[in-house]
Amino acid sequence: MKDMVKKTIFLMVMSYVEINIAATLSNFFIIFPITFLGYSFYVYRTNSNANPIEAFLFGLLVDLIHGSYFGLNATLFCLITYLINSYSNAFKIFSYLQVCLFFGLSATAYVGFTQLVLNIYNFSYITLLVSSFFNIIFCILVAIFTSYFPKISRLKI
Amino acid sequence: MARITPTPGQKILYFLLVSLGIGILYIDINTNSFQEIKHGYKSLKISSVYILKNISIEPVRRVLNLTKSKKTLLEENTNLKKALDASYLNNYLISRENSFYKDDNILKYPLLDDDFKANYSLAKLKDLDPNIFKCCDKHRMYIELFSNSKEQSNLESVVFNKSGIIGQITNDGNYLEVILLTDVSHSIPIKSISDTFFCNAKGSGRANIIICSYNPLIWDEEILLTKTFYTSGLGGIFPRNIKIGNVSNILDISPNLREIEIALSANPLDDEIFGVFKN
Repeated sequence: MKDMVKKTIFLMVMSYVEINIAATLSNFFIIFPITFLGYSFYVYRTNSNANPIEAFLFGLLVDLIHGSYFGLNATLFCLITYLINSYSNAFKIFSYLQVCLFFGLSATAYVGFTQLVLNIYNFSYITLLVSSFFNIIFCILVAIFTSYFPKISRLKI
Repeated sequence: MARITPTPGQKILYFLLVSLGIGILYIDINTNSFQEIKHGYKSLKISSVYILKNISIEPVRRVLNLTKSKKTLLEENTNLKKALDASYLNNYLISRENSFYKDDNILKYPLLDDDFKANYSLAKLKDLDPNIFKCCDKHRMYIELFSNSKEQSNLESVVFNKSGIIGQITNDGNYLEVILLTDVSHSIPIKSISDTFFCNAKGSGRANIIICSYNPLIWDEEILLTKTFYTSGLGGIFPRNIKIGNVSNILDISPNLREIEIALSANPLDDEIFGVFKN
C-alpha cells in the first residue's frame, strides 16, 4: 500500500514537471514524455515483474492528469511494461548504449502514438525526429550520470 | 536474481488490458463519455488549489494586510482592476471598426447589480491548458461569470476579450466551457470587407490560426496576404462585421481548392478577463 502511494506520488510529480516544461520545449519542436520514461525506468529497475493491472491503472491516472483521452496512456503503459518484462533478462547482455536506444526509441514511439491520437491534423515529423534525438540523448546522459555518480543516483542502468 | 518473463496467463491479461484500453480510447474519442470525470477532476483540482490557498497563503496575507492597514486599499484596487478590465472590453465594443451595437448609448456597463440591464457579462479565466492549446486539435477554455445568476442559459454565447472574438460557449456547467475558434471542430462564417467573398473558416488546431477552404473558380475575388476578414453574421451566433484577423498564408491545393490561413486578432492567452454576450 505504502509502495503504491509512493509510486502514485512519483507519477503525479513527474506529470506536474512534464506539464510545466511542455510549453517551453514545444517552441523547439520537442516533446519530452518524462512521466512515461520515469515509469519505464521504474519497471526496468524493479526486481520483480510489474503487475499489468497496476500499469493500466497508472496509465489511466496519467490520462486523467494530462487531460488526454482515457485509454491512451493506459494502453501504452501496458505495452511498455510487457516489453520491459519480456526483455528483462536480455537487457543484462545489452550495452548501456543499446539500453539507452531502447528507452529513447520507446519514448519516440510514445510521442508518435500520442500525437497520432491527440494531434492528427497537425502531425509533425520534425517534432517526432527532434523529440527522438532529444530523448535518446537524455537517456544517454542519465546513463553517464549514473555511471559516474553511482552514490548520488543509486540507479542501475 | 533473474526475472521471469511473462507467463501465458500474464500474456493473456496483458492482451485483455490492451484491448480494454483501446476500447476505452475508441469510446472516449467518439462519444466523449468521460467528460464528466474529466470535468470533475478539473473542478476538484481548482477547488483544492483554492482551498489550500485559502488555508495556507490567505491567512498570512490577511494578517500582513491588517498589520499594514492595506486591506481597504487592496479591495479598492481589486475593484478598480475589475472596472479597468470592463472598460477595456467596453472600448473594444464601441471602437470604430466593431459594430456590436449601432448606438453606443445602449451599451450598458457589465458591473451593474442588475444583470438584465447589462448587455454582456464579465467572466474570469478558470482553466486553459497552454500545452494543449499549442500542441493539440482540441482547444477548450473554462471561464466563470462574476455574477452567479443561473436564470439565463449561456449556451452558444459569444466570448470575447479586448482584442476580439475568441470563441463560444458549448457547455453551461459550474464553469462555462468555451470552444475556441482554433478548435478543429469549430467553424465560423466569415467574409471580406467588400461583401463579395464568404466562407466558413474552420479551426486549424494550431494556436491563433483558422483555415478557410474555398473554390477559386466560384469565388473570384483576389485574396492577398494581410487581407482582413470579418464575421459575416450568417448562422446567427456571431454578430456581423467584427474583425477576425488577417490572411497569413495562402495554399493552392488544387485548381479548384484553395486554403487561406487567417491569423486571429484575439489571443485567449493574452487576458484573464473576458466578456460573454447574452443571447
